[in-house]
Amino acid sequence: MIDEETLAQMNGKYVCPPDAGPAWRAAMEYGFDMSLVEDALRLTPEQRLEQHQRALDLVLEVKEAGERHAAK
Amino acid sequence: MPQNDKAILSRLKEQKVEFVIIGGLCGVLHGASLVTLDLDICCRFNRENLRRLEAAVKDLHPRHRLTANKLPFELTNHLCDTLKNVYLNTDFGILDCLSEVLGVGGYEEVWRQSVPHSLSYGEFRILNLEALIAAKSAVGRGKDLDAVKLLLAIKERKAQQNELF
Repeated sequence: MIDEETLAQMNGKYVCPPDAGPAWRAAMEYGFDMSLVEDALRLTPEQRLEQHQRALDLVLEVKEAGERHAAK
Repeated sequence: MPQNDKAILSRLKEQKVEFVIIGGLCGVLHGASLVTLDLDICCRFNRENLRRLEAAVKDLHPRHRLTANKLPFELTNHLCDTLKNVYLNTDFGILDCLSEVLGVGGYEEVWRQSVPHSLSYGEFRILNLEALIAAKSAVGRGKDLDAVKLLLAIKERKAQQNELF
């Protein structure tokens, strides 16, 4: 049996680290997905750069596809 | 056009260009979950360093991306002495080179407020978190102020974890 809190988290509820400070909470409330930042902070700078490159490649691929579609 | 930051950075390193990574990619290296479409650096604007920059990108069809006719990036001594910024489009993507950073200062000050980061293809200096926050706050566009919120959170988190930034 899955408890409600776990279910909420499975559905996307982000749980702030218990010691999160005001700036972290402010960024979260502003709408940033702080789980992504938590993940990024666990990586080395080089891994962050590689992850960024993959995200950027995807963004550009989608952008190009959109432009191709618009040109048709 | 693809943006290949690693390839550009490697070339700058190979040619011994004196520069500091600033802007969005600097935020990414600090841990920000952002996607940025260009590579921004602050570099020393003197003849020697600009010639190194030119050598680093010369076979990448570099062009001044903000000029009406996308003029090729071909330096003269006069240009070296008068340019304050260089905004380039290359085969590896966009490379914007600034001589100073708003909210921080000129290259010397930017260097002083930078930290080294080791990547597998070399050691690079990036603006420290505090200075990056100052720079983005000074620019003040919506997207920069959004990034500031995230960077402040990261700074706070790293301070809690006694991490250097």
